[in-house]
Amino acid sequence: MLLFVCYIVCYMYMKVGGVFLNILVLIPAYNEEKSVASVISQVRHYVPGADILVINDGSTDATSEKAVGAGAMVVNLPYNLGIGGAMQTGYLYAKYHCYDIAIQVDADNQHDPSYIHKLIQPIIDNSADMVIGSRYIKETVYKSSAARRTGMVFFTILIKLLTDKWIKDTTSGYRAVNKNIISFFALNYPVDYPEVDVLVKLYRKKFRIMELPVEMKARKTGRSSITPIRSVYYMIKVTLSLVIETIKTIEE
Amino acid sequence: MFFNVYSVSITFSIIFLVAVIELVRKNKLQERYSLLWILMSIVLLILSSTPIIINTLADWLEIKNPPSFLFLFGLVYLLIYNLHLTTVVSRQSEKITRLAQEIALLKQKVESEKENEGY
Repeated sequence: MLLFVCYIVCYMYMKVGGVFLNILVLIPAYNEEKSVASVISQVRHYVPGADILVINDGSTDATSEKAVGAGAMVVNLPYNLGIGGAMQTGYLYAKYHCYDIAIQVDADNQHDPSYIHKLIQPIIDNSADMVIGSRYIKETVYKSSAARRTGMVFFTILIKLLTDKWIKDTTSGYRAVNKNIISFFALNYPVDYPEVDVLVKLYRKKFRIMELPVEMKARKTGRSSITPIRSVYYMIKVTLSLVIETIKTIEE
Repeated sequence: MFFNVYSVSITFSIIFLVAVIELVRKNKLQERYSLLWILMSIVLLILSSTPIIINTLADWLEIKNPPSFLFLFGLVYLLIYNLHLTTVVSRQSEKITRLAQEIALLKQKVESEKENEGY
């Protein structure tokens, strides 16, 4: 029923609004009051035609107020859901409001909004369904710890084994998706650590994934939520999830 | 001769493991909860695979009947897992309470806005 209403609204909008595409920038934020306003203003500078939705994942600081003050739309979750639940909220919003393109930009200022145009271009051209902004294709200034790089390599190899695709930056949240994937994510989005998980899910559904090099900045404000113990737990959990996901593939 | 507690244990572990994976595959069980079940199946499988481990551990704990150790392990694991689950349920109760409150407040807001529009 909701889908039906959505189609009617989209149809009416297209007739009235013309041909240009609706772009939604999704900014999931958990206690990022120091950087969120800066990210929003940068996005507005580089992509003035896009709408911005900040998903406040139960922040206990002034993230929500800062976001509203910077001119973004804000959704306040009643309690913390994690990146998976928060992003799915964003995709639900994108689906209900019939956006054509949704792009995730982190609130900690690690993602450089000047690359947004580059990332959404293949979607506009319909040469890809999802475009990932990757730190590791070209030599970039971004520096990460040895532990992180080991983890990255591990996941890249795992993804290669399971999907036969080389994706160098599997955990990058800097991604743009088209309408079909918005619908898919609105219904299916892993709750825990989704970035790697969805790569296998999307491959199963024959979506086209493209990876483009971008520059990412080191985290300047706030604290990362990944600790060493969590990393190991993460790796086991995601590996298991991917393997089970692939078993699904083989059986169908 | 063939049908002893070890072979039953191994068979059970394998069936259990397959069942858990199936449930996760069909989205009836979330991955984060399946991890502990899979871990248990694997440990049970290892313990049942050779009497040596059980005998050594049983000796150490002065259990007269080594296979009893398998049951001890199973019971203790279930107890701990149950406790863990009750903490999960507690957290979920809080979230549900919070959701009910938010919905009630939203309804109030929507209804009061409708009333205002009435004027």
